Amino acid sequence: MLSVQFEGICKDFGPVRVLHEVSFAIQKGEVHALIGENGAGKSTLMKILGGYYAPSAGRVLVDGQAVHFRDSREAEDLGLVLIHQEFNLAEDLGIAENIFLGRELRRGLLLDESAMNERAAAALLQVGLRLDPRRKVGTLIVAEKQLVEIAKALSRRVKLLIMDEPTATLTPDETQTLFKLIARLKAEGVTILYISHKLEEVKAISDAVTVLRDGRHVRTAPTQGLSQQEMANLMVGRELSDMFPPKTALESPKAVFRAEEVSVPGWARNVSFELHRGEILGFAGLVGAGRTELFEGILGLRPRSGGRFVLEGRPIELKSPSQALEHGIVYLSEDRKGKGLHVNMELRPNLTLMALELYARPLLDPSAEARAFAEAAKRFNVRGGAAESKASALSGGNQQKLALAKILHPNPKIVVLDEPTRGVDVGAKREIYFLIRTLAQEGRSVIVISSELVELIGLCHRLVVMRSGHVTGVLGQREMSEPEIIAYATGLKGSHATA
Amino acid sequence: MRGLLRGLVMIGALLMMAAFAQNKVVMGVSIPAADHGWTAGIVYWANQTKGELEKKYPGIQVIVKTAKDAAEQANQIQDLVTVNKINTLVILPYESAPLTKPVAAAKAKGVFVTVVDRGLTDPGAQDAYVAGDNPGLGRVSAEYVAKQLGGKGNIVVLRGIPTVIDNQRYDAFMEVMKKYPNIKVLDQKYANWNRDDGFKVMQDFLTRFKQIDAVWAQDDDIAVGVLRAMDEAKRTDIKFVLGGAGMKEMIKKVMDGDKLITADVTYPPRMIQDAMMLTAEARVTGKPMKTPTIIPSVLVTKENAKDYYFPDSPF
Amino acid sequence: MLQPEKPVAEKPRARLNLLGWGPLMGLILLCIAATLLNPSFLSLDNLFNVLTRTAFTGIIAVGMTFVIISGGIDLSVGSMAALIAGTMILAMNALEPRLGGGTLTVLVGMLLAVGLGALFGLLHGLTITKGRIEPFIVTLGTLGIFRAFLTYLSQGGAITLEQSLSDHYSPVYYGAFLGVPVPIWVFLAVALLGGLVLNRTRFGRYVQAIGSNEQVARYAAIKVDNIKILTYVILGVCVAVATILYVPRLGSATPSTGLLWELETIAAVIIGGTSLRGGSGRITGTVIGAILLSTIGNVLNLTSIISVYLNAAVQGIVIIIVAFLQRGRR
Repeated sequence: MLSVQFEGICKDFGPVRVLHEVSFAIQKGEVHALIGENGAGKSTLMKILGGYYAPSAGRVLVDGQAVHFRDSREAEDLGLVLIHQEFNLAEDLGIAENIFLGRELRRGLLLDESAMNERAAAALLQVGLRLDPRRKVGTLIVAEKQLVEIAKALSRRVKLLIMDEPTATLTPDETQTLFKLIARLKAEGVTILYISHKLEEVKAISDAVTVLRDGRHVRTAPTQGLSQQEMANLMVGRELSDMFPPKTALESPKAVFRAEEVSVPGWARNVSFELHRGEILGFAGLVGAGRTELFEGILGLRPRSGGRFVLEGRPIELKSPSQALEHGIVYLSEDRKGKGLHVNMELRPNLTLMALELYARPLLDPSAEARAFAEAAKRFNVRGGAAESKASALSGGNQQKLALAKILHPNPKIVVLDEPTRGVDVGAKREIYFLIRTLAQEGRSVIVISSELVELIGLCHRLVVMRSGHVTGVLGQREMSEPEIIAYATGLKGSHATA
Repeated sequence: MRGLLRGLVMIGALLMMAAFAQNKVVMGVSIPAADHGWTAGIVYWANQTKGELEKKYPGIQVIVKTAKDAAEQANQIQDLVTVNKINTLVILPYESAPLTKPVAAAKAKGVFVTVVDRGLTDPGAQDAYVAGDNPGLGRVSAEYVAKQLGGKGNIVVLRGIPTVIDNQRYDAFMEVMKKYPNIKVLDQKYANWNRDDGFKVMQDFLTRFKQIDAVWAQDDDIAVGVLRAMDEAKRTDIKFVLGGAGMKEMIKKVMDGDKLITADVTYPPRMIQDAMMLTAEARVTGKPMKTPTIIPSVLVTKENAKDYYFPDSPF
Repeated sequence: MLQPEKPVAEKPRARLNLLGWGPLMGLILLCIAATLLNPSFLSLDNLFNVLTRTAFTGIIAVGMTFVIISGGIDLSVGSMAALIAGTMILAMNALEPRLGGGTLTVLVGMLLAVGLGALFGLLHGLTITKGRIEPFIVTLGTLGIFRAFLTYLSQGGAITLEQSLSDHYSPVYYGAFLGVPVPIWVFLAVALLGGLVLNRTRFGRYVQAIGSNEQVARYAAIKVDNIKILTYVILGVCVAVATILYVPRLGSATPSTGLLWELETIAAVIIGGTSLRGGSGRITGTVIGAILLSTIGNVLNLTSIISVYLNAAVQGIVIIIVAFLQRGRR
């Protein structure tokens, strides 16, 4: 069991100070939540605690003793382990090899594979995973990788576990499993520091909350004493009125797009739905229900075994993303860095990539592009970078706003957004919700795929629920509630339906 | 019962064929693939000679194989011995060292081995040796250059690829030049036995030296590039260019009385023919073969050029 | 927000400068050293010699820049040049009795060369994109195939252009316009055109986007396969243009034609600041890289202070020093 005290921690990166005299304490054996917007300094502070950075000023006390870690290994030796948002696992190695990476057990000069496999299996069991420890990590799903990371920490006799947004990519079920594990670890005396954007989770599992804003400590308080709304207000530093814009019902729904009997091998079978002008249509379901794959199939990004499409009354072909774009249909991937944005390119070419014909006369006109960027940066509130700086320099929320600006630049009729607010802070989330509503009011149709039910309920006119590649239900305004959606998503309710 | 009988007949036939094969000469010829002019000549003459030998000695079998590197050649020798059952091997090794062991292994199995041009590191691995005269090429070239210049003038030297062959030619050339203190070798650079490098190196020599009397290009391919570079620079100070090896285009120029190409020195790919002929004769008649047999490098001038002109050869 | 706005805005500009100046600095230093060693280095004739020589690999390197930026590679350019040269000469020799030994035959030969280059590039592109084979393997294969066919056509010897054609054709290499040799003009034109296409057209932007992250490009509705195929076609045409300039120099093609051009062009592109992993690059850098490489050889020929046995070592050292000067922080 460990307690931690931060005293006047400052951190400078060059001339920029990202942490300003942060002081607070984490009590022994508690689950302590750390919340704040993107860029508030949460990750930096955690990396100082985990031994990855040294503070520029101030000190860290562990169990009352001042510590100065030279690297993460020294922190781990004291029992402090940080689980990164992007996992630190070698995909091509086995689970056991990962768990013992850098601390392999040996017998003489040779590795003791059987002992490592045995102990890895035991550690896996502790986190509720029944997997062959020799299996390659690359073959695991995200939730399993997360649990492997925790198992790895457990095998190193962790006393304080730092988890950075552990549920960002988990399904509700998997999240519940993780919470049970956290409760067990707590009972076994592990102190847990939990970073999250999801305030309802924070409310559910933490004992105390610390709020950071702009690199400054705002408040540390028992969780019981704070409502979710209060937490959000503390994070943003102003009163957040409603997260969602007011809903306006569609007058006389008119079909714009119809998908019929779409099948994507291995992911979706005979899915049909209809999309109305000015509508926000949600797609709910568990991870693996085939929502992302369905739309990748529709856009021609992965092979399809069937499907017909009707746009504004006329049948159309959709064989490739470029053909979809010609018909005014665009898709924003859930994988922002891998599929959504060129993080190594500058902001300006990122913005104009899908609508370059606007600037080719016939040679590209960079100054016109720059003007367009300035306009878009203002309209979409993209902050933190000049037109010629790399997209990787932006925070997650601003990257997402840029990605939205990019897919909207060709002025599409139908916009498909896959997890549009994943890894985005509260302020940016709200901006994105309002943007989606504006798009609908302009007469465009928006499809939102999301794992956050609150978001779907707050935003959508209708909701399609999918389960293992089938549509199980279509919910109207009045039927939308969390238990109802979960019932359809888990198969308690609904057989195959057509939207 | 009938099956067994047929099997016995077949085995008997095979045995007879094997016995018959042992009496006749089966010659494997292993040479580098045609990757530049000179080796192209080797391939041409090897195939030419195969026909002539099979006509001259009925019953002899000649198998010609080309290899694109030393490793492939080593495999080929194994295949020739085990699959083709050769009892005579004529080989022009890609490189000396890596092929010594494979050739020795063939000899240990009773194969008669004639090595051509590039000697093995262990002479015990060969029965006979037929070679061109590399030092001779350097010597003959040097004597011609000295004589034409009257013992006085500036020359530049373009060499081949850094190898033993190149060193032998170059050292012999410089040895002769010691006798002519008034001939100054301005510089020597590698032109890798190819036209493009000959062109480039000569261009830079022309930039660097304002008075050059003669060029020793050592090889006819290099000489082609040298001539082009001189042509472009419109230099008239150079009296002649001496190549080497005996490429047909160059021999033609000598024959036609070209102003710059007044002579050539042979290092004939036709030596493979001599090697094959001599070996076949020794094997068929059972007489011992003279070894080593050195094919001399000969000065080709207008007078004797027609004896060295083979328009059908690629080289 | 606490985003460090100023440093973010300035960093990329500082790096671009480094990228541009590294190879140029190396070239200037090399030229100064060369002039000190042998003043005739600076003579107009010698400078023209170097630039004319650079033209072949330089033109190919411009095409190679597109392929490498898009994340591909082409190892076959040297063999391709040799095969195009051989085929072109054979065709012109065959046409000479019918079309005459004049300009017409030469023009037909040139058209054939460009057509062949484009066709070879198209085949590469199709095999790589539709056949889903690594470009390294595809072009390693054609590297052997092209050269083997040339060796077959030439029977290992030389394919030589008829004298009458050679006379009509030779001005393409040996001629001059405004006192500057023709190949230098062509090189300049190809480089300018390449720079324009890379930086100021949709195609150029797509090439960079694909090299930076192919998945993102695909999701952004870019026709990835078509763009990639086009980069190989452009490279094939560049090889053809280089070959058209090369043939009149010696009037012949041999199995040693274009030997190791692939390494020289790839080295020029990388020295010029293009990442071998793709994504970004500059044509000016490539041009400077190509000139730098042939200057090294020229300087070595103009002096004899270094043993001829060490030529390759000198080249290696200069290349590494220049790469050091232009290394970016990634």
